[in-house]
Amino acid sequence: MSFDDLAARALDTASKRGAEYADLRFEVVRAERIETRNGVVATLSDATSRGYGMRALVRGAWGFAASSDLTHAGIDATAARAVEIAKAGAAIARHRFGAAPPRAYVDSFATPVVRDPDNVPLGDRVALLLAAEKALHVSPKISVGRAWIDLWRTDKTFYSTLGSRIEQSIRQTGSGLEALAVGDGEVQSRTFPGDIGLYKSGGWEIVEEAQLSQNAQRIGEEAQSLLTAEQCPSGTRDIILGGSQVSLQIHESCGHPAELDRVMGWEANFSGVSFLEIAQLDKLKYGSDIVTIRIDNTLPQGMATVGYDDEGTKSGTSDIIRNGLLVGYEMSNDTARTIGRESNACIRAQSWEFVPMIRMCNLNLLPGDVPFDGLFEDVKDGIYMESNRSWSIDDHRLNFQFGCEIAWEVKNGKRGKLLKNPTYAGMTPQFWNSCDAIADEKSWVAWGTPNCGKGEPMQTGRTAQCASPARFRNVQVGVGYGG
Amino acid sequence: MDSKAREALAERVLGLSAADQTEVTIGSESADLTRFTHEEIHQNVARADTGVSVRAIAGLRTGTAATNLLDEESLRATVDRALAIAHLAPEDPELAPLPWGGPTQAPEGAYVKATAEASPQLRADMADAIFKVAESNKFWCAGFARTQSAGFTIANSNGARASFDGTDSGINVKMNASDSTGYGQAYSPDATTLNARSVAETAAGKAKNSAQPREVEPGEWTVIMEPAAFGEFFAYLGQHFSAQAVDEGSSFLSDGLDKPYFGENLTVTDDYANSLAPSMPFDFEGQPKKRLTLIDAGVAKTFVTDSYWAKKLNRENTGHALPAPNAYGPQAIDIVVKPGTKSTQELISETKRGLLISRFWYIRTVDQKKAIVTGMTRDGTFLIENGKVTGGVRNMRFNQSIIEALGKCEFSNAPQRTGDYWFSLVVPAAKIEGFKFSSGTQF
Repeated sequence: MSFDDLAARALDTASKRGAEYADLRFEVVRAERIETRNGVVATLSDATSRGYGMRALVRGAWGFAASSDLTHAGIDATAARAVEIAKAGAAIARHRFGAAPPRAYVDSFATPVVRDPDNVPLGDRVALLLAAEKALHVSPKISVGRAWIDLWRTDKTFYSTLGSRIEQSIRQTGSGLEALAVGDGEVQSRTFPGDIGLYKSGGWEIVEEAQLSQNAQRIGEEAQSLLTAEQCPSGTRDIILGGSQVSLQIHESCGHPAELDRVMGWEANFSGVSFLEIAQLDKLKYGSDIVTIRIDNTLPQGMATVGYDDEGTKSGTSDIIRNGLLVGYEMSNDTARTIGRESNACIRAQSWEFVPMIRMCNLNLLPGDVPFDGLFEDVKDGIYMESNRSWSIDDHRLNFQFGCEIAWEVKNGKRGKLLKNPTYAGMTPQFWNSCDAIADEKSWVAWGTPNCGKGEPMQTGRTAQCASPARFRNVQVGVGYGG
Repeated sequence: MDSKAREALAERVLGLSAADQTEVTIGSESADLTRFTHEEIHQNVARADTGVSVRAIAGLRTGTAATNLLDEESLRATVDRALAIAHLAPEDPELAPLPWGGPTQAPEGAYVKATAEASPQLRADMADAIFKVAESNKFWCAGFARTQSAGFTIANSNGARASFDGTDSGINVKMNASDSTGYGQAYSPDATTLNARSVAETAAGKAKNSAQPREVEPGEWTVIMEPAAFGEFFAYLGQHFSAQAVDEGSSFLSDGLDKPYFGENLTVTDDYANSLAPSMPFDFEGQPKKRLTLIDAGVAKTFVTDSYWAKKLNRENTGHALPAPNAYGPQAIDIVVKPGTKSTQELISETKRGLLISRFWYIRTVDQKKAIVTGMTRDGTFLIENGKVTGGVRNMRFNQSIIEALGKCEFSNAPQRTGDYWFSLVVPAAKIEGFKFSSGTQF
């Protein structure tokens, strides 16, 4: 029996047991990882997982059940379980928020892939990492060198009682390097590209774009140099953040607070709530006029680019921040209805066994018109920081403190001496309102974040925050080291 | 899948392998969770799955492959894939043979049938009890009630055979008032012992008592961390006890054992058999876990190993392997901090001016070697004046070395299992002098 038939059986069972609406995702997920550490292969793994997750709606309450059991008995039991769970919720419901999505699609989507990783022999993949990692070891002070590649493929089909059938084949790829330097009571690390690696949707071309081997020696040298670098000063400075750090800043201080489920209190006990309250929509000056942050889930190579989200809503573009003003949220069907809008396709699950929830997708800071070098002009006394090392923000997403791996003093428009342990801190709206220059599209990178945690049970989301370097005025720096 | 079925499956998979050495790990989980907000269930979920992971060793080469497809063809393909990967891997001269340290006994109370068989209605009843507390206080609440069971079987071609079944359950509640919040939690292998109403009332009491929070100045404070807060803080020291971290130089223990890094009130063990958090008696290589004293009266005594790091560092295998493949090294995952002799109330009574902290949020490491972390207070932060809690304060950010903080500390006499982590923590409340806050926030 094909899965189309099994899906039909599951949806029919749910309907007969009392579901007003039901949908089902069938997924086959494959994850390959290679990680080398100090000249040996620490991880060489290949994991496949197959199963289905089913949502059932009963009197405005949702139930979700997931299983890898594809027998008729397993399908029937899972559908019945989803309805039973929904009924248990409906029995104590004070008000009812759940509703079926407004429309159905029959369609398909596949990630464009230039070079299929299956055509790259495993031996070649391992050799690439061993060579790059070896180049990190510029001295005995490099205690640990690491290099890694992740190859993820997800093939899934979405079915609903409205008649949707959406088939998607998603490919995501990433790779990176890390050098850990140890000396005289000091430990310093440098990673590349960014602090996680370069993660995008696509095939082997994403690994080639990262240029690990070409940059490994420099990363090793920088890690070693940080052991003897001066401490980042404490005080107030103008700062310039590298692109991957701006990406993280968007992720933490715009992406999460703009999740409408969070705004509505759905994450209150864990991830927290949000200062971007609904009453502030179209009123709050979140950032300076040059700050526009846009969802674009159709972006080529965006880590979160798909055809449809996990309740069958078609991907598109919409603004969260437009010229500094809060104008939108990341939304699902249920949450969007509460503010009189339609979903912008931001509800996703980590994999078949998890319930879909609102996730940051591709959330991009539009590039400015200043060349990267131009960010340094007009900075008399500042600091340029790159690559995240530490991140923390309060549960309303206001008070934040981030640390970076490496920094350079900026004096009278010129990059100067190396600084270690750079940190900066602030309050989100004040910080984004202090942004007075964003580098142009030549340094705009689709930085992927493959490890975004949210929800209970915790789910890992794969997001992107495309960004170029940017400049911020009068920021508190050096916190955590005596400041 | 029960242990007998897992063991039979493990034998089948081992029989398919032509590798020099083979390890099979089978994990079977059923996990249900009811999540609520504004007195409404918004996520009500159940999942069940069984996975098979195969580690194949050919000479000094290793490969792993995993699947949840349990038909003969898929299992054979997974075994073959693991061996094929091993053949392509470079040799690791320090690779250790797969271990077998003998049978183990599951600690009492680790598996409770009533938890494994809990219904959605049980969790809905817990949620309803919490809703009623919120409604009677005119608050709104958010949180979860969860039940789960998990079983592991590990077998290898060198004779290891180990199986364990455990259950767990938990309640987590945040009560929300107009300008304050409060938190409560409870965890147990036995869901029938959880008292949802009591947890909700604890959270509601904190929300009520922290209303109209005052702003206090950052700086150095005497703090009393309740177990939920202290567990979150102390957890960031856990990775320092890994042989890998010690060897690479990123742990404070890289500077040597048998040194008094902490105050003499601090004793830390790694104990899978603690009655508040009984867990698996063997590690993910099937090796029996040692019950270790990591810190004894402030003096660091040892760190944890697995087969690889035991061989590499010529130390005993303490049975602390994570599932293969594992780039993080062995980990202490059953941490217990020894309680003191005073009640939390006595610790408060002896405090002239300080802060009582219910919970922390978003702690992250700022400096790995020095164990400096930053984070925020949340969901119930109170001012203590002249031995009494006098009201709520706005939340603050701290930047603090865990090692320095525990140089002068005192613990309550009532440990709790805390946190909803992948590892286990049993800790008392902690009183710490000179805790460093760097800034405040708006709530």
